[in-house]
Amino acid sequence: MNTNNSGSIPFIVLVGAPNSGKTTLFNYLSGKNYKTVNYPGSTVEYHTSKISEKYNFNAMILDSPGIISLVPSSPDEQVAINSLYEHPKYGKPDLVVLTVDASQISRHLLLAKELKDAGFRIVIALTMLDILKKKNLQIDYEKLSDLLGCKVAPVNGQTGEGIYELIQILKNEMLSEPVNTNGTDGILVKDSYKKYLIKTYNDIEKIEDEVLIPVVDKKSLEKANSQLKVLNNELKNKLEAPDSYTLKIDRILLHKTWGLIIFFFIMAFTFTSIFYLAVPIMELVSQFFGLLSQGAIDLLGNGWFGNLIANGIIGGTGAVLVFIPQIFILFLILGFLEDTGYLARGAMLVDRPLSKLGLNGRSFVPMLSGFACAIPAIMAARTIRSRKERMLTIFIIPLMSCSARLPVYTLIIALLMPEDKLWLGGIALASIYLFSILSAVIVAGIVNKFSKTLIREKSHSSFILELPTYRKPKLKVILNNAYVNSKMYLIKAGTVILVLSIILWFITFFPNTNPKVDTTGLSKNQAETLINSERLENSYSAMLGHVIQPIMTPIGMDWRVGVSLISAFAAREVFVSSLALIFKVTGSDGTLQNSLLKAMRRATIEKTGKKLFTFATSLGIIIFFIFALQCISTLAISRQETGSWRIPMLQLFIYTSIAYILTFITVNGLRAFGIQ
Amino acid sequence: MKTAAELKEGEKGIINKVDFKNPCSKRILEFGFTPGKEIELVNESVFRDPITFSVRGTLIAIRKNEARSIILS
Repeated sequence: MNTNNSGSIPFIVLVGAPNSGKTTLFNYLSGKNYKTVNYPGSTVEYHTSKISEKYNFNAMILDSPGIISLVPSSPDEQVAINSLYEHPKYGKPDLVVLTVDASQISRHLLLAKELKDAGFRIVIALTMLDILKKKNLQIDYEKLSDLLGCKVAPVNGQTGEGIYELIQILKNEMLSEPVNTNGTDGILVKDSYKKYLIKTYNDIEKIEDEVLIPVVDKKSLEKANSQLKVLNNELKNKLEAPDSYTLKIDRILLHKTWGLIIFFFIMAFTFTSIFYLAVPIMELVSQFFGLLSQGAIDLLGNGWFGNLIANGIIGGTGAVLVFIPQIFILFLILGFLEDTGYLARGAMLVDRPLSKLGLNGRSFVPMLSGFACAIPAIMAARTIRSRKERMLTIFIIPLMSCSARLPVYTLIIALLMPEDKLWLGGIALASIYLFSILSAVIVAGIVNKFSKTLIREKSHSSFILELPTYRKPKLKVILNNAYVNSKMYLIKAGTVILVLSIILWFITFFPNTNPKVDTTGLSKNQAETLINSERLENSYSAMLGHVIQPIMTPIGMDWRVGVSLISAFAAREVFVSSLALIFKVTGSDGTLQNSLLKAMRRATIEKTGKKLFTFATSLGIIIFFIFALQCISTLAISRQETGSWRIPMLQLFIYTSIAYILTFITVNGLRAFGIQ
Repeated sequence: MKTAAELKEGEKGIINKVDFKNPCSKRILEFGFTPGKEIELVNESVFRDPITFSVRGTLIAIRKNEARSIILS
């Protein structure tokens, strides 16, 4: 059993069911100073740390993902359980610390039994004793320890009481010679495992009857007869009944009318928070990097080096950091909803309609967040436990109409709508959103049909979810979780986004780095804009635009729209500023938007002399933006969260193809009916 | 043969057996739905599916499809 990489410090793994107080215990033991790591070749995460110095115990501790048994039900659990038997880096654990919620002892002892039967050396950390006490019950630790054949340590997650005693037990365990316990791998056999479960639960019930004793005050203890010490049926029924407050709250929150209304409000709040609360902070970030970038240009000159620093590196860093406010706020809210116990219930409320699309109730929040931005939304899909449903959710999130598409839609709507009928624009925008939701539903249904080939996961879908007892959220834990997620985004997706941004900057800047333009009579800003326009017009991306001209012609557009579409990969809203550059709009006609609109209305296709932005082609651009995956950051985050480039590349290819085909049909269909 | 999916809100039943043929039966057993245990249907979702059971001191929400594998006595 004891086959840790030789000579190094003890390796201890923390195991437990979700909501068993495992993370809280880990925070105590690690002193919150831990690393988050992925199991090799997967997206499943675990945390590792040295045991905090104040306990004077030199050991490595690993917090594994929550599991309820040793026989996996999903690929993610498979990874977690396999590495419990044999961790790729640290080998087999010297000790397993199992957290058992005392008020859920009958269910949580299952894992204890399985771990023992599989031959692990375990120590049980008994949590939530206060909840048990409220039910007038306590646990005879020594008897439990005897019956299970392992040490039991009561731990208080609120106060940290019992941690030192737990450490002492761990130290002693490490000193004592391991008993040779060979695991019976019989529990792994399929049908007999189900029989094993029934038998084990029977055994656990017997243990439960022996270790649970009523709480008695001193006076009654004095005259206590042997009867009192035995668990009577009344108390046992109390234990079997779920928390009474939770039941009361559920009567409202899961009510068929009120529950839905409250759900709607909570979701509206979540959405508006990432949409409106984050926007001012995001603008500050953008402005800050804009200033920094301008400063770099002023300092280093408008040459290639100055531009590399200003637009490539500073601009790229800004493009990475601008998502942090949304990610942080979304994970703060998600953490709050999860920690209070509401998230599981919200998922249950909307599971039915989503299950029809092969999704899960938990897909709702990520999909909703997708209307603000796909980056935090795809990360939020982590709360979905089933891998297949998580992958499917990630797959369709880019179809949610994110806020970066809004500037493009507004521009095109302004181009199409007469200025005296502004309300028409509102209707148009609402129709665009409605259309994109409908499209997402259809695409989700189709992707689900082909889920075997597309996301390579079994199509068997299930929903078995514990609705945890409502409790006060732990702000520290939630803040820490939001921080860890933001940090991980920065390290993993951030670097990819930065590299891609610099490449994109490169192809829009080179090779004509120092264009000769006549700037007489122009202000400094106008001259700079003209230089930038000239550069873009002769850049690699413009050449690429010319190369894809044959692809653009069938959808009624030319290379200039093509270049703007390429530039828009940095972020969709860049389409607008890129169009302004390519049409050499210098803002001489009032606002930039107005000058751009004028330039667009005048624009003609060079070869044919026909108008470029007709009703048909403008509508085509909207259709294109509804479907196309034009966002390198989305690709980067999708890679991070799915574990490889396969799914992001499929998304890019499929969505861009759909976009192109539907734009083609729209433009040419309208033309066939005589609408230009 | 009555299954857990046929219980009404607030109605209790005692599990007779779990249908091993259902692909979710392993998970259902692991969550503590074992023969002899009393369960209560506590809540139905807005769309009447999934449904929540009280079992072993906690609340477990499962889809009706899965609840059909829990056969009551």
